[in-house]
Amino acid sequence: MTLLRHDFLRSPVAVASATTLIAAALFAILGPALFGDVAGKVNLRARNAPPFDLHSGWLNILGADALGRSIVARIAVAARNTIGIAAAAVVASLVVGGGIGVLVGLSNGRMAGFIMRCVDIVMSFPSLLLALVVLYVLSPSPWNVVLVLAITRMPIYVRTARAEVLEIRERAFIAAARVMGGGTRHIAMHHVVPLVLPTLLIVAGLEFALVVLAESALSFLGMGIQPPDMTWGLMVSDGRSYIATAWWVSFWPGLTIVLVALSANLLANWFRGASDPTLRKPRKVGADA
Amino acid sequence: MLKFLLRRTLQSAVALLALVTVVFFLARLTGDPVDLFLPLEATEEARARVAAQYGFDQPIPVQYVRYLGGVLSLDFGPSIFQGRPAIDPVLEAFPVTLMLALVTMSIAAALAILVGAVAAYRPDGVFDRIASVVTLIGASTPDFWLAIVAILFFSVSLGLLPTSGTGGIAFWVLPVGVLLTRPLGVLTQVVRSSFLNALSAPYVRTARAKGASTRRVIFVHALRNALLPVITVAGDLLAGFLNGAVVVETIFGWPGIGHLMISSIRQRDFAVVQAAILVTAVAVFVMNILIDFAYARLDPRVSVRQAKQ
Amino acid sequence: MEYRGLPRVIAGPAVLAISLLAAASLHAKPVTIVVDTEPDQLDPCQIDKSQVGPVIKSNVIETLTEIDPFDGTVLPRLATEWVRLDATTWQFDLRGGVTFHDGSPLTAEAVAVSMRRTLVPELSCESALKYFAAIKLTAEPVDDDTVRFTTDIPVEILPTMMASVGISSLATPLNEITRAPIGTGPYVLSEWVPGQRVVLSAYPGYWGGPAEVTGATYVWRQDSAVRAAMVAAGEADIAPRIAVQDATDGSMDFAYSNAVTTSFRIDGAIAPLDDVRVRRAANLAIDRDALRGTLFSAEAIPAAQQVPPGATGYNPELTPYAFDPGEARRLLAAARADGAPVDTEIVLIGRYNIYSNAEEVVQAVQAMLADVGFKTSIKMTDSAEWFKLALKPFAEGRAPNIFQTGHDNTMGDAVFTVPAKYASTERQATMTVPELDRLIAEASVASGEERRAKFAEALRMIHEDIVPDIILFHMVEFARVNPRITYVPNVSTGTALQLRQISFK
Repeated sequence: MTLLRHDFLRSPVAVASATTLIAAALFAILGPALFGDVAGKVNLRARNAPPFDLHSGWLNILGADALGRSIVARIAVAARNTIGIAAAAVVASLVVGGGIGVLVGLSNGRMAGFIMRCVDIVMSFPSLLLALVVLYVLSPSPWNVVLVLAITRMPIYVRTARAEVLEIRERAFIAAARVMGGGTRHIAMHHVVPLVLPTLLIVAGLEFALVVLAESALSFLGMGIQPPDMTWGLMVSDGRSYIATAWWVSFWPGLTIVLVALSANLLANWFRGASDPTLRKPRKVGADA
Repeated sequence: MLKFLLRRTLQSAVALLALVTVVFFLARLTGDPVDLFLPLEATEEARARVAAQYGFDQPIPVQYVRYLGGVLSLDFGPSIFQGRPAIDPVLEAFPVTLMLALVTMSIAAALAILVGAVAAYRPDGVFDRIASVVTLIGASTPDFWLAIVAILFFSVSLGLLPTSGTGGIAFWVLPVGVLLTRPLGVLTQVVRSSFLNALSAPYVRTARAKGASTRRVIFVHALRNALLPVITVAGDLLAGFLNGAVVVETIFGWPGIGHLMISSIRQRDFAVVQAAILVTAVAVFVMNILIDFAYARLDPRVSVRQAKQ
Repeated sequence: MEYRGLPRVIAGPAVLAISLLAAASLHAKPVTIVVDTEPDQLDPCQIDKSQVGPVIKSNVIETLTEIDPFDGTVLPRLATEWVRLDATTWQFDLRGGVTFHDGSPLTAEAVAVSMRRTLVPELSCESALKYFAAIKLTAEPVDDDTVRFTTDIPVEILPTMMASVGISSLATPLNEITRAPIGTGPYVLSEWVPGQRVVLSAYPGYWGGPAEVTGATYVWRQDSAVRAAMVAAGEADIAPRIAVQDATDGSMDFAYSNAVTTSFRIDGAIAPLDDVRVRRAANLAIDRDALRGTLFSAEAIPAAQQVPPGATGYNPELTPYAFDPGEARRLLAAARADGAPVDTEIVLIGRYNIYSNAEEVVQAVQAMLADVGFKTSIKMTDSAEWFKLALKPFAEGRAPNIFQTGHDNTMGDAVFTVPAKYASTERQATMTVPELDRLIAEASVASGEERRAKFAEALRMIHEDIVPDIILFHMVEFARVNPRITYVPNVSTGTALQLRQISFK
């Protein structure tokens, strides 16, 4: 463990990523309390105020949006909804989708075929229609947003997990585990999941950004978060009409999404590399050659 | 093999029926097209008459049975807004999207394999780091933002490329470029990860022990196995494109199926929505069958019998 | 009252020769026009639809009359003059020497059939539903060049209404929608590649002679920034509608009135909005000066009524509510003291893209209402859901709401606005005021000065006594025009962009 910490401190990428994520987490926890009022304060006379101009106060350091609200304050406040919704959706689809994928990969029965066709259905079902239905039948609340996002993003985990399982299940040590009398459940938990998880986590890391962006599309339809609540995705989509004339309205929240997503991915990659000794082998191989 | 195909087709047909049913009933939970089709000033009688004309006044189960009967004889009903059979606009739009998706995915997969393999060759090396950061930034950039910035820069400021529309190769550059960013980011990471996995697998070690050179190990033995997850993820992304390249289609004025689906969902033009979903679903199902075949070809340990799940 | 049109134009050989020379000059070129949505159909009877009109109205399909975009008077087009024979009968004389694109001549028979076709229920023609729903009309040819319209009730403004009825060839199928309109206009529909473009080319047999523009290609891009970019990059000549924030180049961008008035409807049937003081307070809370030049164009005109200036019945005496938050708070306090549940949460219902910046407008209005003490929440809707909420029957037990809406009146008469918006017998008004209903009914059948005065009085009553809405602005739209051409956008640009009005520099 100390070795890991030593490694961590020697990796500038890991330190920078972790710092970004901690900052985002702090915003999520403290943002609404600190900036809640300012973030909602409409001031049409400061509409689309440009960034780096301190005349209208330091809160407009990153500029103001179309209603003259401080962008920096809104990014801070929106962190809670954005991270909460995206994390819940990613975890839900990872656990359910990955679980289904592993089970399907390990079994041979008719059930597996049936489940995969159900996944095909979900894949060919436009998320927009699902969103509209939820909007009409249920109400647009954060949990319903999570529901829609989790369902539409699930197939990729099912199919990735299944593919990985098909690839590793014939490996010698699993055959050995079978011979030694391990049940399917035992094999799944102890031999398959540890091997499948890294790939799924990489997918999940990438999905975080996609889910944030997908959430912005839902917000745009009135299905997602409703004003005065806010998310980074909603901020980007609100700034859409001003890309040509006031780039900062969509740029800063977009940059925040990119930075947080990037940090999550880089940290996941680093952790995976640092904690899995077998992955260091190829590096030596490469160095030898 | 033939038996597999037959059984798979049968399964797919059942699933398609389920899909059609779900879409039919869910769509009808979102209101009906009559209000939108008529001007705000239209009278209640006019609305009732149009509803009757298109059968929306019937109980929903009756509408469903009628619709299903139509589908079986390849009649998908009329588009209320376009005044022609709903299948017509769908068949016009589908090839556009299919071409766009195939071109984009081919380029993305080729680039991702190249970049991912080189990155995995020296994990944590300079190339690996830069490639990771660049592709991840691409994957997490909002596509509408990228699209409009690209138009303003390449078309308006530099005057190099047409802003939008369809035509020769120049018209493909911006839409494909924007569409490329997301799958490229995802695929590169997947390729890199599965290469690393493959390199640590026993059979690669065996190959190495038998004296295969490192490069040969990476590019022949590992590639073969690393391709499996790549195909899976690429398939998912392609399916996503078939009903989800909406932003790019809309901004660049490409008359594809995503754009058609969104506008008809907004208009509640149910017949078009249903026909569009059915056509894309058939495409997704066919693609998944092809992917499973590809599995069987690429990985000798996965037999068609296993893949048919 | 009788309208007399211009004398018939006689296209003599000399005129023709001069025009042909003009057409052969270097100036004769096609243009490209980028609109926001593809037309879903191009039926001659749908020329009043917003995606159809800008392409074919007055270009491919002509009408008997047209509305002067500058002063709202009725001008001759395919009819040269018209006369009211008695209260329920109008007679129109047709222009001579006019042929349809299929070569057949314009006859009274063709006009009568076009009129009947417009009224065929199965076609759901826009103008039939908007203007002719309450009227029983028969169209009969008198002779080859004269057609007579008889109505069951007196229709004062039939010549105005004829500007919405497209005249098409007898070859047009009577009972089904066509995607290949055959009209008498200066341009022929020569190609429609669905999803990609509509192409018009000059009709050599046009009665008005050739024009500088030899043809037009219509393309569509949903994003305003892209449309503006296309004109800037020289790929298109006109983008008839771009968002206010994209109109940044004074040399290319022109503001024009589009006869749209934006407003919020107040649901006066539900407490606390059933109290007129609360409705007034909502009006006094709105700072129109802060909205203008920011979310709305600086050229938009603060409005006190939904009828656009210049239309018959427009009341020039009315002034918009001033921004007076102090008075608004006082009114709310007074209502509260009388037991009105002022602290009930009011739902601000908005609609995405009903006009540029519509979402921001809802949030800005929410902030302004909050400043004087209203408790509100926002619900944004898409157009389908919005339509359900716009029309009666309204849901029982609904929350008190303030409803974002807009209205266009390009026909130049208050009758196209006031009954639909305010008469309780129609489907949009939330309140029932018998006195207002009576006044509207009288105004609708009156003529001349009496008509003007009655509508003006109805509008005063609405604005001052009933206060059923918050009227915001008479709107302007922006068009971007490529410097290589000369085209001055006008109120009809958004409904019928006449290619003949374009010339090359």
